[in-house]
Amino acid sequence: MLEITDLHATVDGKAILNGLTLRVGAGQVHAIMGPNGAGKSTLSYVLGGRAGSEVTGGSVTLEGRDLLALAAHERAAAGLFLGLQYPVEIPGVSNLTFLRTALNAQRKQRGEAEASGAEFMKLIKIEAEALGLSMDMLKRPVNVGFSGGEKKRNEMVQMAVLRPRVAVLDETDSGLDIDALRVVADGINRMRAPDRATLLITHYQRLLDYVVPDFVHVLVAGRIVRSGGPELAQTLEREGYVDIAA
Amino acid sequence: MTNLPTRKTEDWRWADLSGLDALAATPANDAAPDVSDLWLDLGGPRLVFVDGAFVEAASDRRGLTVTAVRSAPGHPLGDRAAREATTGLWLTHTATATAVGPVQIVHVATGGVSQLSSRIELAPNAHAEVIETHVGKGWSNVTCTVALAEGARLMRTIRVLKEGGAHTDFTLATVAGAASYTSAALVTGADSSRVEARIILQGNGAFAEADGVVLARGDQVHDAFTLVEHAHAGGTSRQVWRSVADDRSTASVAGRVAVARDAQKTDAEQSVKALLLARTATANAKPELEIFADDVKCAHGASVGELNRDALFYLQSRGVDPAGAKALLTRAFLGDALDRIGDEVVREAVTADAVAWLEAAR
Repeated sequence: MLEITDLHATVDGKAILNGLTLRVGAGQVHAIMGPNGAGKSTLSYVLGGRAGSEVTGGSVTLEGRDLLALAAHERAAAGLFLGLQYPVEIPGVSNLTFLRTALNAQRKQRGEAEASGAEFMKLIKIEAEALGLSMDMLKRPVNVGFSGGEKKRNEMVQMAVLRPRVAVLDETDSGLDIDALRVVADGINRMRAPDRATLLITHYQRLLDYVVPDFVHVLVAGRIVRSGGPELAQTLEREGYVDIAA
Repeated sequence: MTNLPTRKTEDWRWADLSGLDALAATPANDAAPDVSDLWLDLGGPRLVFVDGAFVEAASDRRGLTVTAVRSAPGHPLGDRAAREATTGLWLTHTATATAVGPVQIVHVATGGVSQLSSRIELAPNAHAEVIETHVGKGWSNVTCTVALAEGARLMRTIRVLKEGGAHTDFTLATVAGAASYTSAALVTGADSSRVEARIILQGNGAFAEADGVVLARGDQVHDAFTLVEHAHAGGTSRQVWRSVADDRSTASVAGRVAVARDAQKTDAEQSVKALLLARTATANAKPELEIFADDVKCAHGASVGELNRDALFYLQSRGVDPAGAKALLTRAFLGDALDRIGDEVVREAVTADAVAWLEAAR
C-alpha cells in the first residue's frame, strides 16, 4: 500500500535519510523505532510533504501513486494521514470547522459530494464519543488549552473522521500518561482494517504494548538496519539501540 | 483644493490623499447602479444616495429626514463635507418615538466627488442602529456628527466596499453619561481610504467601542485613525482593530486614548493587530495612550505578524489547499474584531464581506 524505495533526504544540506526502503501492505501495522537523530521525524515530514526537507533520491508511492509528486493537501486527499508529534494550536478556528473544512476539501479533490452539516455532525459525534472527546471541546479552537493527551486524542478523532488509507503517526505516544496512551492506542486499533495500513514512528516500545504491530523496523542513521516481528521491540527496549547501530 | 493635511502631520503620516484632487475631477457616470444585494435583511428604512444626491424613488424613507447637515465637525475633510454636501441623513430619535428599526444607507459613487454630511442625535435613553455601505468609485467624502444624550445607545456599522477610488470618512461623536456608542468599520475596497473617528466620553458610565477590519491588497493604501477622549470620570472604551495587507498594499491603524486630568476610573483597552500576507506589503499598527489622570486602567496591545507556518501545514496535511488554509487562518485572525459586532445579521453580513475578500484571492 505504502512503498518507500531507497529514499534519500536532506535537511539544510545534511543527509538525514540514506536509502530507506519499506513496504507497508494493506491491513498491516508497522512500527519504526530508532534513537534520537535517526531520521524518524524527517521521514514523517517527507511523507507528509512539509517544507524544510529535500528529497534527493528514491521514491514513495501510495497505492501506486507517486506521493512525492503531490502537494501536502493532495497527499491527504490521496489517503495519507499524518499524525503530528506536536499538534498545532489554532486560535479562532474551532475543531468542528477545522475538521469539516478538511473533510470536505478532501472529498472535493476526490470528486465526491461534500458532507452536509448534519451528516458531518453525525459522523464526528460517533468518533468523538468513542475517543472520549466532548462536544464542548470540539467547539473550542483547535487544540487551544488542550492537554498533551487531549491533543493526541484530537488527532485520533481527526483520523477517524478522515478515514485515511495510510496513517503515519509520528511519536503519537510522546508526552502521554498511561490512561491517555490507552485511549490513543484504542484509537489506532479501532482503525485497523484490511484496506488500511498504519506506520507508527516511535522512540519507545510502550505504545507497542497496546498496539501490537505486525512488523518492527529499526531506523538508524537514515536507514532501516533491522526488521522483525513485535518481539524486536522488546529486544530493543531491553538492550537499547547501541548494539544494533554498531 | 484647500488645506488637505499632508504626511508631515503626525496623525496623517500614513494616509494617502494625493489622488483626491484628480479623482474629484473624474466624470461621474450616471448609469443606474444595482444595489439590491447590498441590503441586509433588517426591515428598517433604506436610503439610497448616488453621487451625493438622495434617490427618493430607490429608497424607503419611512419619514426620516434627509437634508444637508451644516454642522462642521472641526476636521479638514469633515468640514468640507459639511460645507459642500447637498444631502445626508438627519436622524433624531426620542425614547418615545416609534422605533423605525435599523437604518440602512447605501451610498453609490460613480465618479467625481460625492459628499454626504449626516447627523445622528439621540435623546435620553433612545436607541438607534445605522448601517452605511459605500460602493462605486471616485472620491466619497462623508462626515457624521453624533450626539448621544444620557443613556442613549447607538450602534453603527460602516462598510467601505468601493471597487476603486477613495473613501474618506470622519465621525465626531459626543457620548453623555451612561450612553453607549458602538461602531464597527470594514474597509475592503477603494484604492485609498481614511476612516477616522473622534469620540468624546462626557459623562459617568459613558461607553465607546470603536472596532474595525481593514483589508488591503494590490497597491491600496488604507488608513484608520480613532481617537477616544475620556473627558469625564468613569468612562469605558474599547478599540479592537485587525488589519491584513497583501501584495504591495499598506494597511495602517492608529488608535489613541486620551484621558483628561479629571477622568478618574477610566477603563480603556486597545488591541491593534496586523497580518502581513506578503513580504512586499506594509502594515502599521499604533496604539497610543495620553493619560493625565492617575486612577485609570488602560491596556493596549499591538502586533504585526505573519500566518503561522505550522498551522498552515497542519491544515494542508488534512487536505486543505494552501489558499484555503491561508483564508481560514486569516478569517480566524479577523474574528477578534468581527465577532464583537452585536447585531447578528450585521455581523454575518460583514463577515461575509471579509470572506468574499479572502475568497477573491483564491
